[in-house]
Amino acid sequence: MVTGAGEYKISWVVDGEKDNVATILENGVSRNSVVPVDLGNNEIEVTLKDDIPYGHKVAIKPIKEGETVFKYGLSIGRAIKDVEVGEHVHLHNIEPLRGRGDLRVKE
Amino acid sequence: MSEFWGFVRPDGSVGARNYLLVLSATIYANSVVERVSSSLLGSVPITHHLGRTQTKSDLKMTFDILTRTAANPNVGAVLIVDHFREDLCNLEDMAHALSSSGKPVEGVNIRESGGVANAVAEATRKGAALIRDLSCQRREISPISNLLFGLNCGTSDTTSGLSSNPALGICSDKIIEQGGRSILAEFPELMGAEEWLASKAVNQEVGDKIYRRIKDFEDRIYATGEDIRGSQPTGDNIAGGISTIEEKSLGGAKKSGSATIMDVLELGEAPPKDPGLYMMYTPGHGSESISAIAAGGAQALVFSTGGGHVIAHPVMPTIKITGNENSYKAMSDTVDLDLSGTLKGKLTLEQAGMMIYDEVLAVLSGKLTKCEILKEATGFAIHRVGISI
Repeated sequence: MVTGAGEYKISWVVDGEKDNVATILENGVSRNSVVPVDLGNNEIEVTLKDDIPYGHKVAIKPIKEGETVFKYGLSIGRAIKDVEVGEHVHLHNIEPLRGRGDLRVKE
Repeated sequence: MSEFWGFVRPDGSVGARNYLLVLSATIYANSVVERVSSSLLGSVPITHHLGRTQTKSDLKMTFDILTRTAANPNVGAVLIVDHFREDLCNLEDMAHALSSSGKPVEGVNIRESGGVANAVAEATRKGAALIRDLSCQRREISPISNLLFGLNCGTSDTTSGLSSNPALGICSDKIIEQGGRSILAEFPELMGAEEWLASKAVNQEVGDKIYRRIKDFEDRIYATGEDIRGSQPTGDNIAGGISTIEEKSLGGAKKSGSATIMDVLELGEAPPKDPGLYMMYTPGHGSESISAIAAGGAQALVFSTGGGHVIAHPVMPTIKITGNENSYKAMSDTVDLDLSGTLKGKLTLEQAGMMIYDEVLAVLSGKLTKCEILKEATGFAIHRVGISI
């Protein structure tokens, strides 16, 4: 269940233990701002290294290239570059593992 | 138990609307259908570009979607327009398929009528007589257990999986608790969520079917040799923050709430009468998916959207909800409920779920959705697999 649904928050984490990304749900959240992230049992602060558009994700733990990206406590893909805490997480640094007809062709 | 005011059909199903459906059997009847329907108050046109020169299995799919849409409880009577002579998608075969519904079915064949002008006149007169009879029918009180409820999402973004989808799941659970049924579809948008869904299956057999049918869709995607990013997730999903199909699927699967999954249906198939949640094999294409759900007999559908949407099925009221405040501001013409309060500390998910539930009950009893008022009806499309021949 989404942590703290019904509260006002800028960042949203689903599984406070496993997720390594948070979703930013506020307009104009920019580089260098310090964003509180509620993990359920505790709260951490993340300093943003990028502007994060509304609805986009930010890394709340470091993710090495090839490691799984976790949201909802489950895999949403893997990192294709090393990702630092506070960086924007999207198509440029993660890839899906499903529906990859392009990978099948190479096999 | 909750109740709504609906139109009782000869086969016992209960409709939220009492339309005359003016239906093209085939592409070449489309203009006649549009002209006739624009002359008749209380009628809804359905046109399409299929019904001939299709592979046999596609033609059967077209036939099934058309006849089952006509059998939907929201349709009180059917007026079919035919061109010359089609195999399967013709007046006689379609009327025969509709005979068990017990509802009045009339038809006009353009060539037999003596051309389009005559066909328009003949169909308009037949349609007018049908509507006059329909206008005598009154709504009756009906338990919510008669509801077959559609779940769908489109132009999703990351608010969908956090707000509007889980709230919709709560609404769906409440309908099922009272003996109703819900349908979850869009299989390519469940790739990555199989394990979570299968864990809610009523038995092992259904759990295996969930894995198998989602894999079948993924195999169709592999056969293209393409990386489907841009199609799944779509350009607007990506703009809204969804990065991968798995992320989209895990958010999308939240629409299913906590109910037990009773079975996996084929495209357009009617579920059994047992209350519960059913999955239906459809593509992620919004209109194809909601059209398959309407063909299965759903009287209303809630469509959860992140970016905002206009989609509305011509015969099945399509209630739109969003958790994204920016999208509601941009698209409130066609989005019925603003659930962004759930992300602002103003609304719990349970409260949002009840907002949706109350809206569904009102719409079933006659409240018009924004799209019905604006005559937005882009939500009809027939799925196909094969080529035109």
